[in-house]
Amino acid sequence: MTGRLPAVVIDNGTGYTKLGYATNNEPQFIIPSAIAVRERPGGVRVGQAGEDLDFYIGDEAFSAKGYSVKYPIRHGIVEDWDLMEKYWEQCLFKYLRCDPEPPLNTPENREYTAEIMFELFNVPGLYIALQATLALYASWIASDVKNMLTGLVIDSGDGVTHVVPVAEGYLIGSSIKHIPISGRDITYFVQTLLREREPTIPPEQSLETAKAIKERYCYVCPDIAREFSKYDEDPRKNYLKYTGINSVTKHPFSVDVGHERFMGPEIFFQPEFSNPEYNTSLSKLVDDTIQDCPIDVRRKLYSNIVLSGGSTMFKGFDKRLKRDVQRLVDLRLKESEEISKHKPDPIDVKVVAHAMQRYAVWFGGSLAASTSSFYEVCHTKLEYEEKGPSICRYNPVFTLV
Amino acid sequence: MAYHSQFANSKFRLGNMALLPIRTRFKGPAPTETSTENEDIIDEALKYFRANIFFRNYDIKHDADRTLIYLTLYITECLRRLQKCQSRNQAQKELSSLAISTFPMPGDPEFPLNGMFVKPSHDEVERMKEYLQQLRQECSERMLDRVIDPATDKPSKWWLCFVRRRFMDKSLLNIGQL
Repeated sequence: MTGRLPAVVIDNGTGYTKLGYATNNEPQFIIPSAIAVRERPGGVRVGQAGEDLDFYIGDEAFSAKGYSVKYPIRHGIVEDWDLMEKYWEQCLFKYLRCDPEPPLNTPENREYTAEIMFELFNVPGLYIALQATLALYASWIASDVKNMLTGLVIDSGDGVTHVVPVAEGYLIGSSIKHIPISGRDITYFVQTLLREREPTIPPEQSLETAKAIKERYCYVCPDIAREFSKYDEDPRKNYLKYTGINSVTKHPFSVDVGHERFMGPEIFFQPEFSNPEYNTSLSKLVDDTIQDCPIDVRRKLYSNIVLSGGSTMFKGFDKRLKRDVQRLVDLRLKESEEISKHKPDPIDVKVVAHAMQRYAVWFGGSLAASTSSFYEVCHTKLEYEEKGPSICRYNPVFTLV
Repeated sequence: MAYHSQFANSKFRLGNMALLPIRTRFKGPAPTETSTENEDIIDEALKYFRANIFFRNYDIKHDADRTLIYLTLYITECLRRLQKCQSRNQAQKELSSLAISTFPMPGDPEFPLNGMFVKPSHDEVERMKEYLQQLRQECSERMLDRVIDPATDKPSKWWLCFVRRRFMDKSLLNIGQL
C-alpha cells in the first residue's frame, strides 16, 4: 500500500451517495443523490458556455434557488448519464478506483462508467464491484464464518429492495428478485398514517416529518396485534412525541407518535398495506429466491443471509426475518418428511446484522480497495487505452486475505 | 397474514356464520358466556381490529371468521358515528341507536358481503336478525370503554384515525349513505 494514494470508494444509491477513501471505516460524505441544474422554460437544458459548471449536488442542490432538482438514478440504475457525469465531476477531485454497481446493471452501463472515469477524470485504474459481493465482505466483521463468499444479500435502500444470491463471489443472476417496497414506501406509509391522525403537521412539511419519525422511532415488531395491545397496556413507554419547527412561522409543532412506529416497516412483511398490487412478503421472497438457486448452495445461503442498506436498519428487522424464513423452511421440511418418511437434516437460518449495515456496500468497497490484491484486479488506464471500454464488462472476483 | 378467530370449532351456525357464546346483558339467541376470563368473539374483534383493518385480502377459514368480519365492519360504522361525538353520553346515545337501527341482512340486495355470506334459510331469518342485533348492541357498549378517553371524555384519536380505512375494501353502508 505504501507509496500509493488510497482508492476512492463511491456508492451511488437512489437516495444517497456514499463517498470516501478506502481503509476508512465510514464514508466521509453521505449526500443526497440529487443534482440541481438550471433549466430554460420548456424544459430544455441550457448549453451555453460556462453554464455547464453551473450546478449543485447533494444538500446544496435543495437550497439552490432557481434550479430544478433531479435524481439521475432511478431504482438503483443510472438513467441520466449527462447528469451522472456532472455529479461525479463534483464528487471527485482525485483518483477513483472503485465504484460498486447494482445487480442487473447492463454491460453497456459499465462501459459508460469506464468512459467517463478514464477519459474525463483520467483515473489511473478502475474496478467495478458488485454491491452484493461488497456487502458480503462487509458482513465479515460480524459473522463468525470468515471469508464466506456465498450468501444471500438483502439490499434495501431508499428506492429499491433486492434479494441477491451470491455463490463463491459470483451472482446467481437468474435468481435475483426484488420487491417494490423500500425506504421511500415506508416514509409514504408513515406519512399516510400521520395524515389520518395528526392535524398539527404543516402539509408542506409532512414528508420530512414522516421521514424523521421513520428514521428515529420505527422498528419491526414480532406481531402487530399484540403490539397494539402492548401500547394500550403501557402507553407512557410506547407513545412518543416528536417536535418539529414550522418552516414558515418558525414556531415549534408537536406530533404524537404511535403505532406507525411498528406499522411502517411492517410493509416489508405485509406489502398489501401500502401497495394493493403486490402481496409477497420479503420473507417469502427470500425463501423463493433460495429455492430458485442450485440445490448445492441452498443450505449455505440459508445460513448466511446478509443485510445491507439503510432500510434494513430497523431494530428487530433481522430477528423477524430469521423467524419468518425459519418458519417457511421448517414447514417445507415437515412436508417432505411426511412424503418421504425420512427425516431431513434441519436447516438453521441465520441472518447477519452488523454495525456497518447502513454503509455496508461502501464499507465492503473500502475493505476491498485497501488490500493489495485489489490493485492486481483493477483495470488500468493503459489497458483501457489498448483495448477500449469493453474491459470493464468483466471484473474478476478476488478474496480479501 | 391477517388475524383469524380462534373459535374454529363453533357448534352452532346461522346461514354460514358462526353463532358463538358472548358475555352480554342484551337479549338474543347467542348462548351466554359466563366466564369473565375467556375472550369472546367481540373481544377478539376489538383486539384484532386495528391490525386487521389494514388488510385488503382475507381468507375465510371457518364460520367464526364471518362473525369476526361482520363485527370488524360494524366497528368501523361505530367509529364513523363517534367522529362527531363530544362526550361519553352523546357517544352512548349514538352507538345504541346505531345498534338497533335497521340494517341489511345476508341475502338482502343491500348487504355488502353477499359474496361471503349465504342467505339464511326461511326459519333462520328471525334468529339471524336477533343475533346480529345482539352482537351490534354488545359491541357498541364495549366500544365506549375502548374508545372514549376518560381523561378528556372524548373519543380517542388513536381509534378515530382508522375511520377512513376499509377492511377488505368493504363497508356495511353503501357509499351513497355516507
